[in-house]
Amino acid sequence: MNMSEKKAFKRESIMQTALELFSLNGFHKTTIPDIAKKLHISVGSFYNYFTSKDFLAQEIIKYTSEALGEKIRVVNMTDASAQDKIQQIVTIYFTMAEEKPEMIDYFLRVYLSNREVFSENCEGMVCVAGFITEIMIFFDDCVESGELRNQDFFSAFGLFMGYLGGMVFLKGEGVLPKDIELYIDDISRNIYCALKVQE
Amino acid sequence: MQNKPYKPKLLWLQSITCNGNTHSFLNHPDLFSILENFELIHHPTLDSEYTMADVLSKNVPCDILILEGSVIENGFKKAGVEVSSLIHAYAGKAKHIISVGTCATFGGIFKQNNPEEISGLCFDLEEKTQHYEKYASKLISLPGCPVHPRWLSFVLLMLAKNKSIDIDSLHRPKELYGYTVHNGCTRNEYFEWKIDTKNFGHKEGCLFYEQGCQGPYTRGSCNKILWNDTSSKTRVGTPCFGCTEPNFPQQSLFTTKTNMGIPAKIPLGISKRAYLTLTGVTKSFKIKRFSKDLLEYD
Amino acid sequence: MKKLQIKQLIEKIEGEAELDFTFNDGKIEDVKINFGFYRGIEEILRGKTARDALVITPRVCGICNHAHLIAAVRAIEDGYANAGENITLTSKAKDIREFTLICELIQNHIKWLYMTMLPQLESYLDKKSGENYAIKATYLASRITKALAIFAGQWPHSSYAVPGGVTCDPTYVDVMQAQSLVDECIKFFERVVVGLSLDDYLAIDSVSSLHKVDGDFGKLLHLIGDNGMSTIGQSYDKFIVFGDSILSNAGKSIVTNISNVDVKYVSESSQEGSVAKAVTYKNKLFEVGPLARGMVAKTPIVKSLHKNYKDSLLSRVFARVHEVALLLAHSKKLLAKLQLDELSCTLDPHSKLDDFEGVGIVEAARGSLIHKTTVKNGLITNYDIITPTQWNLSHGNETQQGIAIKAMVNSTTIEEATFIFRTFDICSVCTTQ
Repeated sequence: MNMSEKKAFKRESIMQTALELFSLNGFHKTTIPDIAKKLHISVGSFYNYFTSKDFLAQEIIKYTSEALGEKIRVVNMTDASAQDKIQQIVTIYFTMAEEKPEMIDYFLRVYLSNREVFSENCEGMVCVAGFITEIMIFFDDCVESGELRNQDFFSAFGLFMGYLGGMVFLKGEGVLPKDIELYIDDISRNIYCALKVQE
Repeated sequence: MQNKPYKPKLLWLQSITCNGNTHSFLNHPDLFSILENFELIHHPTLDSEYTMADVLSKNVPCDILILEGSVIENGFKKAGVEVSSLIHAYAGKAKHIISVGTCATFGGIFKQNNPEEISGLCFDLEEKTQHYEKYASKLISLPGCPVHPRWLSFVLLMLAKNKSIDIDSLHRPKELYGYTVHNGCTRNEYFEWKIDTKNFGHKEGCLFYEQGCQGPYTRGSCNKILWNDTSSKTRVGTPCFGCTEPNFPQQSLFTTKTNMGIPAKIPLGISKRAYLTLTGVTKSFKIKRFSKDLLEYD
Repeated sequence: MKKLQIKQLIEKIEGEAELDFTFNDGKIEDVKINFGFYRGIEEILRGKTARDALVITPRVCGICNHAHLIAAVRAIEDGYANAGENITLTSKAKDIREFTLICELIQNHIKWLYMTMLPQLESYLDKKSGENYAIKATYLASRITKALAIFAGQWPHSSYAVPGGVTCDPTYVDVMQAQSLVDECIKFFERVVVGLSLDDYLAIDSVSSLHKVDGDFGKLLHLIGDNGMSTIGQSYDKFIVFGDSILSNAGKSIVTNISNVDVKYVSESSQEGSVAKAVTYKNKLFEVGPLARGMVAKTPIVKSLHKNYKDSLLSRVFARVHEVALLLAHSKKLLAKLQLDELSCTLDPHSKLDDFEGVGIVEAARGSLIHKTTVKNGLITNYDIITPTQWNLSHGNETQQGIAIKAMVNSTTIEEATFIFRTFDICSVCTTQ
């Protein structure tokens, strides 16, 4: 591992640790010394990577958005049908919620609930562009191929992502009676039926 | 006594047309000094050496053929003579063929009434016609509905001065069609920041997102070499309709085709992913200067 | 009695036409007018969205494309009104539309004067001056179309008029440039076309002061008068105007009686052996164009000419060139009163009306132009275009020969007849949309 790789690895581990602490103790209650302590590094060393907690918060949202975006991008590159692609995207999302619940948790509880932290340099969609772009590509391809009904972006996006976010939220609250993977088929079909071209 | 320099013999022939290219060229402010370089064999409106009846004999001289209008092999006669036979007679004889306008070049608007039989001389939309091979070596395409007068004068003067013209695969001069209509548009700043115009009739805002503007993927230098030496469609708030393109005119010309709000066609040569990434970012910024009108009158 | 048939190809008339003359005893008895190629614009429009007509219909004609645009936008606006959604244009939008339309009329009339009338008359009378008239035509025409393009983006083939107004949003810089181009055109008109100041020219109100007209127009009038052509080319003395404009209100003139018209009585019928459709008003033939507008508006000098020479070639020629003066004077006023702070377009962009029928009427260079659109589910199901040339050049009906044919009948030479034909300012392409 060379220097820059080492640095990138360190940067990533700081974000990963912060995510876990945010999820455990809450965003506001978690301090930079808490994060440094958990990683066995000095506070000064932390500042070499992130100049402030707000900046860290923004970088984390970019990092999670890109991680999600990269997985959806693989789906977008295939020739699968719209219905298959929906199934795959739902699977990606729920798998992430299962394997890295802190990431989705962060998005729902921190990013969406603390907009003031993200007002500067993270306006609108700037920090979630990695994810949004792939969702746009997915919609664009499926409308172009005649599978999904053409409509406003947000009416479609809200139906798709609001639904998934809601399910993950219920899972987090411990309300879901079954494992979240068991919902993938029905939810995918619901989304497809809602968005497909009406005969 | 010195011999006068040889002037190429120019023949302007009309096929299925609205005469728009003829009238467009008459707007050229240097028209007569340009024509000085040629012997005008025949022209639809200007005084010329030979009458239409002479032209119909297929015997008048022709070095440069300017063809205006789309072509049908059978069924359009002038005084009993098939116009296509005239075109072939003079196209065969000419050293250069200039197809002026989208009709003569690709088939254009009038093709739509009889798509099977009407086309451009050498292209049928983007496909080569059976005549392509015969004329390719001397063909210059000047699509546009109509042709821009200065585009035509550029080609004519280059030919008069025996200079070679660099052309692309559709035989369009690169100097004229290497640009997109978007290039030089006065609304570029709004395009950069993805700010669409609120409605027709505003100086402010870009016409690409809602109003159907095809400027970013239409080839032509309309915003570099202005129309009537003064303006262009997009400068007066009218969307570009892609009139230089092989598929002109398409449907729903005043509405941008979108898929879930995403433009179905994006700027020339840019991947959709790159475009959307950039769009998502720029759209997120609310820039105060652009939220105001450029000027306010009391 | 000797009958003789002669075919003649007429060129440089916005395309070409073929005239088949029938001579009887040395005089023209009948003429068949045949045009070239039917291009099917009305068919092309079917299935397209309503507003696509704003792009497609200007392509009917390279010289009066702007009139087609205005007729097309008015047809949609009328359709909206018929469906209960009234569109009120701002005075700014109205004035800009009127200005650009005027510019097109001016370029047309000037091209006709210099590129058709003067050279053709000189050649017919065998009095060729060798003058380059075309350079005069294009000097003025390219300037006035530049003034048009300041607002409309380009000429030919602008589509800047949209339901609710116009797409442009001009500044005073734009207006000043347009004003200076109009001033230049006025100077040209004064010095070269009539040899009089515009005011002095416009003060001419009767035949007795016609001799004051100098310049190239004066030359044309002399050539006509001195060669005994003042009274030839008379037709039925029936005129019709459907559009209101600065030149005239709508109305019809039959032997100087003016009465109202309603576009619903206009009907089209196909003509045997022609790609052009004939058009009538209550089954009667009427002449349209500048002479019709002058007669219906009772323009003093046109009335005076008519009193002396009826609906002759001289009256017809004069009425057209006279419009240039009226239009130049009016265009200056329009620019001076432009209210730039008003909205350019008042129609809400989200307003959506998918079913309507509307009629758009405009006074084009050659007379009344009518567009009728029928839209269902947002798409055009039927589109009718009735051009001025269809009125003037129809073959006629069971009882009467067509307007231009009547004007040529009794001529003794093909040369004279074709010159009379050209005084109607023939547009081949408009006739064969």
